[in-house]
Amino acid sequence: MPLTSEKMQVQTTPEDHRIAWLTALAISIHLLESAFPSPLPGFKPGLANVITIVVLMQFGWRTAVWVSLLRVLCGSLLLGTFLSPGFILSLSGAACSLAMLWLGSKLPGQGFGPVGYSVLAALAHMTGQFTIAWLLFIPHPAVWRLFPILLTAALLFGCVSGIIARAMCQHRLPCQT
Amino acid sequence: MTRADRILLVFVVCILPFLYARTWSPDEQARYVQIQAGDAEPIAAELSPDRILQVHGPLGDSVIEIKESQVRFLESPCTGQQCVHSGWLSAAGELAACLPNRISIQLLGQHPLFDAINF
Repeated sequence: MPLTSEKMQVQTTPEDHRIAWLTALAISIHLLESAFPSPLPGFKPGLANVITIVVLMQFGWRTAVWVSLLRVLCGSLLLGTFLSPGFILSLSGAACSLAMLWLGSKLPGQGFGPVGYSVLAALAHMTGQFTIAWLLFIPHPAVWRLFPILLTAALLFGCVSGIIARAMCQHRLPCQT
Repeated sequence: MTRADRILLVFVVCILPFLYARTWSPDEQARYVQIQAGDAEPIAAELSPDRILQVHGPLGDSVIEIKESQVRFLESPCTGQQCVHSGWLSAAGELAACLPNRISIQLLGQHPLFDAINF
């Protein structure tokens, strides 16, 4: 039997490379962030969001979806939380914020800037996550008392991420051709 | 910052206090206290004026104090004294019970918080 000398080749496009590059960056931030202790469950700066916003601003919503969902998937595999409640919350938050970003990007005129997108994404992420947490894990009305506090935190962290994203948008990313 | 950014931020900052007010509003004011002794029909007592009630049970008289729209078991003939240690009840829906003496008190508002409580 002849040995097959030909290597398995997967055809990749520059778009794939770009997504891989950006996702790797987002995963790194995600992992670094998870090492920090959190004072409250659900209380996280969400700096990986910065990458999603920058990608959205520079490469469009489709690429942002890839980067965001791959980040959630790979991040959970690396942290060992795949299919755990934390993963489900993370995924629902990401899905909700992507949906809001899609709506936001359809805005006529000048539309949102990085800060607006980031705040929108952070608030949508928190709201989606919270609703799922309430529906699936803690169906108790008292949970909603936490909601304004977490939403305030999301607003602040969203602003900070947005400012970082704006600073990043002013530079050329190495993956940009 | 674009105009949409500013509008979003202003909108969110306006919504937040409203959310806080909704979720952190104080507990419902109690209107009256319901006292149940044994198998008798529960009786409703007003929360003012301040006074001390004696309720008769199988072990003897339990003393219930009503003060400034709050209510508590002041003394009880039972051994455990759980009812006395329950302390003041102030919000609608709160409940204290003395099982040995078969007496329970519960503050009620307009909307009952619970249908039943299991211990």
